[in-house]
Amino acid sequence: MHIVCCLKQVPDTADVKIDSQTNTLIREGVESIMNPYDLVAVETAVRLKEKHECLISAVCMGPAQAESILRQALSLGVDKGILLSDRAFAGADTLATSYTLAQAVSMLDRQHQVDLIICGKQAIDGDTAQTGPGLATRLGFALLTYITGLESFKPSQRKIIVRRKVEEGQEVLEVNLPALITVELDLARPRRASLPGLMKSLRRKIEVWDKNAIEADAEQLGIKGSPTWVRRIGVPSPRAGGPTFNAAEGLQDAVDRSLDILFQDFFTADEPGVAEGEEHGKKFQGN
Amino acid sequence: MAKNSKGIETAEIIADKCIACQICIAECPVGAIELSPEGTARVLPEVCIGCGECAEVCPVEAVAFDKAGRKKFKKAEKPGPRIPVPGRVVAVYIEHNGQKAADVSWELLGKGRELADKLQARLAALVPGSEINGLYSRVQNIGCDEFHVLEHKSLYRYVSSLYGHALSAMVRRVEPEILLLGATSQGRDLAGVVATHLKTGLTADCTGLDIEEDSGLMLMTRPTFGGNIMATIFCENHRPQMATVRPKVFPMPVFSERECKVIRHDWSPPDDARIPELIDFIEDTTRAGVDITQYPVLIVAGKGACSPDSFPMLEELAGLLGGTVACSRPVVEAGIMPYERQVGQTGKTVAPRLYIGVGVSGAVQHRVAIQGAERILAVNTDPNAPIFQVADAGIVGDYTQVLPELISRIKERKKSRHD
Repeated sequence: MHIVCCLKQVPDTADVKIDSQTNTLIREGVESIMNPYDLVAVETAVRLKEKHECLISAVCMGPAQAESILRQALSLGVDKGILLSDRAFAGADTLATSYTLAQAVSMLDRQHQVDLIICGKQAIDGDTAQTGPGLATRLGFALLTYITGLESFKPSQRKIIVRRKVEEGQEVLEVNLPALITVELDLARPRRASLPGLMKSLRRKIEVWDKNAIEADAEQLGIKGSPTWVRRIGVPSPRAGGPTFNAAEGLQDAVDRSLDILFQDFFTADEPGVAEGEEHGKKFQGN
Repeated sequence: MAKNSKGIETAEIIADKCIACQICIAECPVGAIELSPEGTARVLPEVCIGCGECAEVCPVEAVAFDKAGRKKFKKAEKPGPRIPVPGRVVAVYIEHNGQKAADVSWELLGKGRELADKLQARLAALVPGSEINGLYSRVQNIGCDEFHVLEHKSLYRYVSSLYGHALSAMVRRVEPEILLLGATSQGRDLAGVVATHLKTGLTADCTGLDIEEDSGLMLMTRPTFGGNIMATIFCENHRPQMATVRPKVFPMPVFSERECKVIRHDWSPPDDARIPELIDFIEDTTRAGVDITQYPVLIVAGKGACSPDSFPMLEELAGLLGGTVACSRPVVEAGIMPYERQVGQTGKTVAPRLYIGVGVSGAVQHRVAIQGAERILAVNTDPNAPIFQVADAGIVGDYTQVLPELISRIKERKKSRHD
């Protein structure tokens, strides 16, 4: 069994703040971390390895410093870390990223047949959730997104049974390998690295692959291979705020004046908007 | 501006503004820009030839460069546009269960109509499925010019590879300029597959769509960096320009009658499709009846009201106004409310007629998800809470005192109207 985890290094967006005076990002103290969803992908792979004979490879596309998250993956039980790093990969959107990763996985597949790819559902910096579906489509793997549970793994039959979150509940699906799953945060709580694991990871070598190593077509890489471009960037346009009243200076007055503002021409029906809410449900329905 | 040892005025990156998109790194003709360990771009002054290309392409004006000292550099020609014959069609994928379309598809038809009118294009609904008879009866009332149907028994339930193949086939025939999908779990999955089949650009979770006047391109605005930044994206040389949009971002449209042609498409599934077998389905009972996006009034508890004791009060207020109780992320993380009730970037985008935030500070991730609310009232002890910037009215005070007063005043007002 060969499992490949796809990892991304991201800024910890929970820490990213905007300086409202200058409209710029405040980067001070913002750490680069392994995308939290990808950490769950690694945990999932390592748990499979504990029960079945598996080789786990981790692939990460990024600049040289992204090596640190591959080393983190090694410390958690991943066998092999590959950093895809080349100037030609820079500026990639999801289409170019899925191409680059697909080329890398094909290379790994030549060394040792790949059975399962595990990706995080999405990365917390872009939140697109497109790379996993794109990669599965390129490789012709079965695609299973939003996985919340791994019910069973049958290497001998080359089958996997997973639980998948959809709007109305959870599907339990069985699929033949090779497959690509994208995982939700609640699938598994990631472990911390053990001290021996940490020590061992420091001695291991991370392979760095460039565009030649993955036999890539330069036209499909990085900014050249990216159909989407950023036209401009700004901070979210604020709604114009209204007045604020201090309850300490008169609670009833504050409440009354707020209600006056809110309910100007608002209480036209007895229960505001309820009728409309029902109307939505009826639209676009058959006879 | 600094000169290097060759006397060239070099470009410099303003680290505070850099968002590490790496476009300059890719565009620099001599490889003089790299990503620093701090995660921002930096220029190697001795390699820089002072062409200013980086300053031109930077989307956030994070490159300091003096144009006067510019050294001309002949850039390799970019590959020409690969635009197919303009189809002059705007297409919307209709997510449905055979009888009824998802609300978001309806919302996108409204937006699609607007974009199509700007482009003087036709609006087409793309509807793959197994039995979709239930959707036919009202095609004259959905704002569309064309209703494309692809029926096949294998499409009786959603499978990424089959739906991806089918929708890609429809797009190749219809050749739309633009393809919109709802950013539901199905839509996000499907969009990634289809964009890869068609080798075109896709922008996820857009909160704004418009047509640029000169170019006729679709401008797609989406939050990024956890909602801290709004990026406007375009897709110049590939078609269709694809975008997914979250439910409730655009309003429900009302259409007048319009002539709409129903067009059927043949299709057969690919032989090598990998189809997962559905062996069980576990219905989520905890969620039944609490889709917070469907309520006209939301009483939203934040970190400042993160206590089970506050609930009777919140419930009473919600009941009084015909709404329901929702919350921000810390309340879910504290285990007090289920994820399904979470409003925010990682929760749900909502657009109620009235939003009352109780102890919600209003981090940007929360604010982007409530921008569609018609009216906002904020109650918070901190007069500097960012929520007040977007609230139509705000009350600075302790919610345990403000809410009872609010409840009693609303009761009085309702009573006086009935008299």
